[in-house]
Amino acid sequence: MISIHNLTKEFNYNKQKVTALENVTFTIEKGDIFGIIGFSGAGKSTLLRMINALEMPTTGYVEIDGVNINSLSFNELRKIRKRIGMVFQQFNLLNAKSVYDNVAIPLVLNGVPKKTIDKKVKSLLAFVDLSDKANAYPDELSGGQKQRVGIARALATDPSILLCDEATSALDPDTTESILQLLERVNRELGITIVIVTHEIDVIQKICNRVAVMEKGHLIEEGSVLQVFSKPKHNTTKRFVRTVIPDEIPTTVKHTLACEKREYTILKMHFLGSNTTDNVLHHINKTYDLETSVLFATVTELEHTVLGVFIVQFIGNDLEVGKVKEYLLSQAVDWEEVEI
Amino acid sequence: MDFFSQELGVSGAQLLLSAEQTLFMVFVSLFLGTILGLIMAVTLVVTSPNGIIRNNIIYTITNTIVNTVRSVPFIILMVFILPLTKMIVGTRVGTTAAIVPLVIFIAPYLARLFENSILEVSKGIIEAAQSMGASHFEVIWHFILPEAKGSLILSVTTGTIGLIGATAMAGAIGAGGVGDLALTYGYERLNFPLMLFTVVILIVFVQIIQTIGNYFARRARRS
Repeated sequence: MISIHNLTKEFNYNKQKVTALENVTFTIEKGDIFGIIGFSGAGKSTLLRMINALEMPTTGYVEIDGVNINSLSFNELRKIRKRIGMVFQQFNLLNAKSVYDNVAIPLVLNGVPKKTIDKKVKSLLAFVDLSDKANAYPDELSGGQKQRVGIARALATDPSILLCDEATSALDPDTTESILQLLERVNRELGITIVIVTHEIDVIQKICNRVAVMEKGHLIEEGSVLQVFSKPKHNTTKRFVRTVIPDEIPTTVKHTLACEKREYTILKMHFLGSNTTDNVLHHINKTYDLETSVLFATVTELEHTVLGVFIVQFIGNDLEVGKVKEYLLSQAVDWEEVEI
Repeated sequence: MDFFSQELGVSGAQLLLSAEQTLFMVFVSLFLGTILGLIMAVTLVVTSPNGIIRNNIIYTITNTIVNTVRSVPFIILMVFILPLTKMIVGTRVGTTAAIVPLVIFIAPYLARLFENSILEVSKGIIEAAQSMGASHFEVIWHFILPEAKGSLILSVTTGTIGLIGATAMAGAIGAGGVGDLALTYGYERLNFPLMLFTVVILIVFVQIIQTIGNYFARRARRS
């Protein structure tokens, strides 16, 4: 478990004080794939570097499995770091060493016997599907392959936590997908807690179960991915979520609505998991004296749960719409009225 | 009278001795200078304000030493430190005596070249090393130096060529060598063929060293 307590980080930059993080507090549970998202300059990379104390906080502290890592001596801290793997956007492989030697390096540092290193490196390369590249050098590899080497290297010391700093940001979409699948396997098969920093919301959508949204050094929203994605509170969060789960009425539909003379109400509904969209709409159509028209709909899978966003125009009087609203609540469907 | 005596006015044995003296001076001072230069360069990089073991005092001292020594022309440096030379090797003259000023001359020079080579290593690699829990020494030994190796070899090559130039001046304290041969027998006796011959020899030396340096640098960067 990683507990972040009131972290504040100030830098002196050209004699000016810059606050990179301000009073950030949250907890990452064991087994989480925890995403930290924000635009550049939000402080997310600084935050990540606090977890293995590559950056020291100005105030506040980080606790890993109950140990305050900011109170440790350098040598004690090094032991903690060996239990925390890290992968980087720019891979940071040693170009002068082969793939094999790159993966072996953390073990060499730990003074592991050669035979054990050989076995471990081979099994790691098999795990990341690069057994045939053991003797290749980093500049002979594609970006995705380099990141696989980076992940294998980070896993060499059997860490319990893996920190990913924009691990997929330098990769194309297909490669990103395969790296994300690999990270998911790392989490599932090896039981490693993963913390991912990214500015790509689809990374969060695809593999994270929890997410923290950062803006200008502040943690503005935090929770399960499902919760944050289905009901983003903060504007920045909404902007991020909207890029993967659009929830606005398309412009052409708005133009058509402008010509609508009848009395109507538009509701935006969020269907989560077991709420079967079809049945609800069917029931409304049959039971109430209303005409329904779906203006916009999207269905996304998050944390293996279906999230549906439906924007429906209910043509009829307020009384009937009121009944619909009550019915929706009774079906545990979240709704909000949309003004055009 | 052999061929060399007839054509160049000095015997083949003398030429061979000069070449040996030059090679001896270059390689002994290169070896010692590289070790000292590397220590200074690593000290400069790790204690610099952006380094992994920031230390203003050590950085400033090392930086000042490097700058000071580098601002003294070799011929002056050589005579200036004669007492020190006498203390270290017991004599002020001869080939061995020349090693002392040559090392003091080349070490700070190499330190600056090495410093640049080491600074080329990306910050990310150092960060990766630290994230693995590497000690400061391990960061230097397992990450910075291997990554900088190719560039360091090129720096040594450049330093070697600089050293060959300096050895010519070491003749002033009776160190001998090819450069001294050219000055005393070639220039002072107006023996143009000998001058030409020594120049060609020096060019060949430098070419060979540069080629070897390039070869190993390429190999170090990647097979």
